Amino acid sequence: MDKSMTWKVGLIVAVIALSIWLLWPLDKKINLGLDLKGGMHLIMEVVTDEALTIQTDMSVTQLKGLLKDGSIKYEKIVRKGFNKIEITGSLLDDERKIKDILDDDFRDWTYTVGGNLISLALRPNIEQQLRDQSVDQALETIRNRVDEFGVAEPTIQKEGMAGDKLLIDLPGIDNPERVKSLIKSTAMLEFRQVISGPFLTEEAALKDYNGQLPDDLEIVKTNPRRLDKGFYVLKAATVVPGKDLKSARRAQDEYGAPAVGFSFNSQGAAQFEKFTAANIGKQLSIVLDDRIESVATIQDVIAGDGIIHGRFTIDEVDDIVLVLRSGALPAPLKYIEERTIGPSLGADSIRKGLMACLGGLVLVVAFMLVYYRAAGINSVLALLLNMLILMGIMAYFKATLSMPGIAGIILSIGMAVDANVLVFERIREELNLGKSPKSAIDAGFKKAFWTIFDANLTTVISAVFLFQFGTGPIKGFAVTLIIGIAASMFTAIFVSRVIFDLTYGRRKKLSKISI
Amino acid sequence: MKIFKEEPKIKFINKRFYAFALSGLIILAGVAMFFTRGFNMGIDFSGGTMIEVSLRENTSVQQLRNMLAKINLGDAQITQIGGENKFFIKTLASLKKLNLGNSMKMEDIEEYEIVAREIRNGIMDAAEREQAAAGKIDLNNTAEGEIARFLRDKGIADEDAKESARLAIGLRKSKTGIIGDFSALEKAGVKHRVMDLLRSSAYLGKFTFLSVEFVGPQVGKELRRKAALACIWALIGMLVYIAFRFKFLYGLSGILTLAHDVLIALSFILFFNIEMSLQVIAAILTIVGYSINDTIVIFDRLRDNLKIMKKDDLEAILDKSLNQTLSRSIFTSLTVFLTVMSLFLFGGEVIRPFAFTMLVGVLAGSYSTIYQSCAWLKVWEKYFLKRKKS
Repeated sequence: MDKSMTWKVGLIVAVIALSIWLLWPLDKKINLGLDLKGGMHLIMEVVTDEALTIQTDMSVTQLKGLLKDGSIKYEKIVRKGFNKIEITGSLLDDERKIKDILDDDFRDWTYTVGGNLISLALRPNIEQQLRDQSVDQALETIRNRVDEFGVAEPTIQKEGMAGDKLLIDLPGIDNPERVKSLIKSTAMLEFRQVISGPFLTEEAALKDYNGQLPDDLEIVKTNPRRLDKGFYVLKAATVVPGKDLKSARRAQDEYGAPAVGFSFNSQGAAQFEKFTAANIGKQLSIVLDDRIESVATIQDVIAGDGIIHGRFTIDEVDDIVLVLRSGALPAPLKYIEERTIGPSLGADSIRKGLMACLGGLVLVVAFMLVYYRAAGINSVLALLLNMLILMGIMAYFKATLSMPGIAGIILSIGMAVDANVLVFERIREELNLGKSPKSAIDAGFKKAFWTIFDANLTTVISAVFLFQFGTGPIKGFAVTLIIGIAASMFTAIFVSRVIFDLTYGRRKKLSKISI
Repeated sequence: MKIFKEEPKIKFINKRFYAFALSGLIILAGVAMFFTRGFNMGIDFSGGTMIEVSLRENTSVQQLRNMLAKINLGDAQITQIGGENKFFIKTLASLKKLNLGNSMKMEDIEEYEIVAREIRNGIMDAAEREQAAAGKIDLNNTAEGEIARFLRDKGIADEDAKESARLAIGLRKSKTGIIGDFSALEKAGVKHRVMDLLRSSAYLGKFTFLSVEFVGPQVGKELRRKAALACIWALIGMLVYIAFRFKFLYGLSGILTLAHDVLIALSFILFFNIEMSLQVIAAILTIVGYSINDTIVIFDRLRDNLKIMKKDDLEAILDKSLNQTLSRSIFTSLTVFLTVMSLFLFGGEVIRPFAFTMLVGVLAGSYSTIYQSCAWLKVWEKYFLKRKKS
């Protein structure tokens, strides 16, 4: 064996060893997708508009404070849509001052000044940043909750082109209902000022406003399990958003009844302190997921922490603490897809997938052996190695094997030998032209290379588009296809060539080859 | 072994009009189907509820339909899975239709969930409903953790509860997904104490939901757009790549051939009323990437031959190139065809629409490579040859 052969064979042995090492033990290294092992698959959309609305409301409050501090008179400051603010009033005199404030403290906003109206709009890049942040935060929150609930090996990731969707895979899930409500609870805890209430009906609440509620107010239902059924009119803007909540714990109120204790971070504490100081004697409501949990009169200045008391049972307190602890969702979630696969369907799919794999393999191997004889053995060896590498790489990337993934593997079997077919046909052609076997093999591999390369690259191109387009299992299909094709470039061109060289290389006189 | 002892001399190009006519006819029929019946949209695209149910007793589609008619869902789409006692139930029904009222404002997907629950109720018979009402659990429709918790609540030790639940779920991994009777559980090794409890407080339903899927309506709209875009971009990708590696006209011929394959595949999906789903789109995109391979092999050869056979006319060069690569075109497709066939035959109902689309696509791809890719070059011979000479 000459030197170049030594390293080639060495490389192949190394690849085989590496693949086996990556794959061992098989059942630990290959993750089965939900469609194969059963479980629950959810796709949810984070309603990022809502997160922006909250942010804009905060900015409105901040702006009011700043204008007040600078004793600038204005008529109204309101949020328009989810990312715009309008200041109205006779602003001409103070235009300079307002501009200064906006330039200094509202750098994330663009503004246009038009006489009695100043319109602010959130900069698009900032808006995108906030959206991304809220999705990231939602993902983190859900991960915490799912972990805390104790689901084994969940998958939680971003999904979709806009990046505002979350994919949640919960294998072998025990209790879909409970997990779902746990995830769904936005745990949006808000502290909001009470304007009036309680009212028995929504109409009664609206009466004071002639049926037309101002923009900055909102009617919110009570949670009938905690308070008497009814409605309150609340300020739309929240005093402190849920994200400034630092921790939550089980606590007791002054009568020893179960209550939820909470602490703010420094920013939240500062805001809360300022608000309570200015509003002693007024009512404050605690709103969780758009339901009023508790209404209390502000007795004193509150800064760092406090308790929510209501008619809680200890279990309820624990549930609320769990969702609060795992962090609030920055925006509500909308379920858009849910698939539950039972245990028997997955088991059936595995059986059938294996069957189809074996069937495909047997058919292709039989064809290659019958049609190309000894050279067929060569291609079968290359094919088996291809499968091994494919599985090894999948194990390395911790790829999940789904039914479409199995289809991808089966397809790879058929496509991988295509390269062999192209090479072998070329060799036959060269032999027909009267070339010696050795130079025919040489020319066959050389001339077929670019054809194989081009042909495979086009398949990869469309697989990439497929990856872009598809969701979970379809992505898995695209990935197996790409890996399979890449591996076949190595096995059908490099390995197969080495096998030829090993078989025929040492013979001095080679007059005939079996192909 | 060789199928062609020597290089064949088939005249492909002069039959191009027959080939174009045949493909044109199939595609026209497909278009007609599209406008009359349209695609059978899966819930990926249409949104809705899709349930795969396995029943213990022999049931016909009509019997199942009668059960669903009780809850006003007699018009749900019911498909029996090849000879087995398993069915797909697909419906877009809303609560209004089920006479459940619609006063609550809820997301569509929650409606679908309720629809699924109603379907479960519809399939249950009187005895099952009675058992369920009495607080018994259905071992054929309860999740592993739920069974374990149920047993624990009834005073079974944690270990035994878990083990019994695992055994029960293990039995459900059979072909039907249904546990026939309690003795099967006993045989599987469930302890006596647990067995006694199960006999009195659990029952074995006559059916099981193998899978339940809900897709919200907004998904489909986005998906349709994305699927079309992905196909178009993949085609453009092919055009650019081939134009780059060869020449623009090759690229154009290549994607016309590909578009043909996609249209033929879509036509057959329409003819056989195959359900349009994500995996069918995946198959179509795979066809786009794969069926160009043969075409590239031929174009490669054509490029060589154009240099060698300078004196011959284009038709002769095209025929020569096709004949030289004919066995390759056939066998590369054949290997993939064999594997896809295996997937179609053995892969089960879940993956069959994918396999069907691939089968049609591979056949259409092979045919169009031979009869059309080069024929298109002949069509614009004037421009093609001029380019060659310049």
